[in-house]
Amino acid sequence: MFNSIIKPSLVLLLVAFAASFSLSHIQKITYPNIIKMEKEKQDLALKLVLPGYRITGSKKAKVEGKEFEYWTAEKEEGGTAGYAFMVAGNGYSGPVESIVGIDDRGTILGMSILKQSETPGLGARCVEVSSKETLFDKLLEKTARNEIYMPWFQKQFSGLNSGEKIRILKKGEWNEGLMESLRKENAVLAITGATVTSVTVTESIKNGHELLKKALASGAEKKEAGK
Amino acid sequence: MNYWNEFTKGIWKKNPILIIGIGMCPTLAVSTSVSNALWMTLAATFVLVCSNILVSLARGITPSHIRIPVFIIIIAAFVTIVELVLKAYQEAVYDALGIFIPLIVVNCIILGRAEEYASKNNVVASTLDGLGMGLGFGFTLTVLAFFREILGANKLFGYTLIPGMEPSSAMILAPGAFFTLAIMLGMMNWINSRK
Repeated sequence: MFNSIIKPSLVLLLVAFAASFSLSHIQKITYPNIIKMEKEKQDLALKLVLPGYRITGSKKAKVEGKEFEYWTAEKEEGGTAGYAFMVAGNGYSGPVESIVGIDDRGTILGMSILKQSETPGLGARCVEVSSKETLFDKLLEKTARNEIYMPWFQKQFSGLNSGEKIRILKKGEWNEGLMESLRKENAVLAITGATVTSVTVTESIKNGHELLKKALASGAEKKEAGK
Repeated sequence: MNYWNEFTKGIWKKNPILIIGIGMCPTLAVSTSVSNALWMTLAATFVLVCSNILVSLARGITPSHIRIPVFIIIIAAFVTIVELVLKAYQEAVYDALGIFIPLIVVNCIILGRAEEYASKNNVVASTLDGLGMGLGFGFTLTVLAFFREILGANKLFGYTLIPGMEPSSAMILAPGAFFTLAIMLGMMNWINSRK
C-alpha cells in the first residue's frame, strides 16, 4: 500500500511542487522584462507603420463579438487621419500577429509582424531582413551600417491598397527592383516554401481593414446617438 | 569508470543524431542557419545537463513506475526556464527559434539520456554525459547548418556570400537536411571503417 500508492504520489507531488515553486520565481524575475520588451516592440512598430504620423488615441472595440484593437493618428503636417490596427491570422504553425498602418484612403503606410511561430528558415523569413552586405564585406569591415532594416517581406506592403485583395506572386528572391511592378498589381512576393504564411498575412490585413471600417462606423453611430 | 570516456562518447562514438539516431525533429528544423543551430545547442545542452544532474540526484527516491512523469516534470521545468530567460533577454533568438524552444521538452535525446544514463549513474558521470551528448548534438547540428545555410540560403551567419546567386531552396527544406545528414553519416562510417 505505502510503496505502491502513497510513496509514488508523494514523490510526484514533491517534484511537481519544487518545479512550480522555482518556476514561479523565475517567472517573477523575467516577467517585468518580458512586458517591457513587448511594449517597446509595439511602440516601435507603431512608429514604423505610421511614418510621419502622430498617434492620437488607442481604442478597443468589439466587432462581431471579437476584440479589435486600433489606434487613430494624425499626419504631422496636413492633419489627415491615419489608423493602425492589430490583426491575427492562422499561419502554418500558429497565429501570426501583425500591426498595420493605413491612411484614410486605405493605402497601407507600413506593416510589421509582431508575433509569429512559423518554421525557421521558411515561414519565419517573414521577419527576415534582406541584407545586402556580404560576409566578406563584414569581415573586411567595408560597411559599417547600423540602421534598422525593415524585413523585405513587410516592406512590400507599403503603398498597397488594403481594401482590395492583395495578390501573391512567386518570382523567386526579392529585390528592391521588383517593388514597382508589384505595387502596380497590388501584390506581394511570396516567401519561397511558405505560401501559407504569405496568404495568412495578406488575408489578415484585408480582414483587419474590414473590421476597422465596421469599428469606425459603429463608433460614429455611438457618437451620433450620444448627441 | 573512465570519466573522460563518458564525456567524449557523445561526440563521436555514441553521437545522439548520427549513431543513436534520435532527436531528428529539431535537427531537421533548426539546422537552417548556423546561428539558430548554435543557440539551439546552447538551450538543449543547458536543459540536458541540468536534467541529467537532477534525474541522477533523484534516482534513489524515484519509484521506477513513475520515473517517466518525474523526468518530464524536471525537463519541462528547465525548458520553461530557458524559454522565459530567452524571451526576456534575447528576444531575437526567441523569435527565430519559435516553437522549437518549448519542443525541447519532447526532445528524445534529453528524455533518452535521463532514462538510459542519468537514472543509473552518479551525478558527476551524468553531468559529463549530458555535456558530451549536448556537444555531439551541437556539433552535428552546426555542421549540418553550415552546409545548409551556404547552399540553401547563400549565406553564413546571416550575411550573403555571393551577391546575386540564386540559392537552392531544396537545401533549406527538409530534403536538404536529409541529403546533408546522409553524406555526414556516410563520411563518419567511412572514417570509422578506415581505422
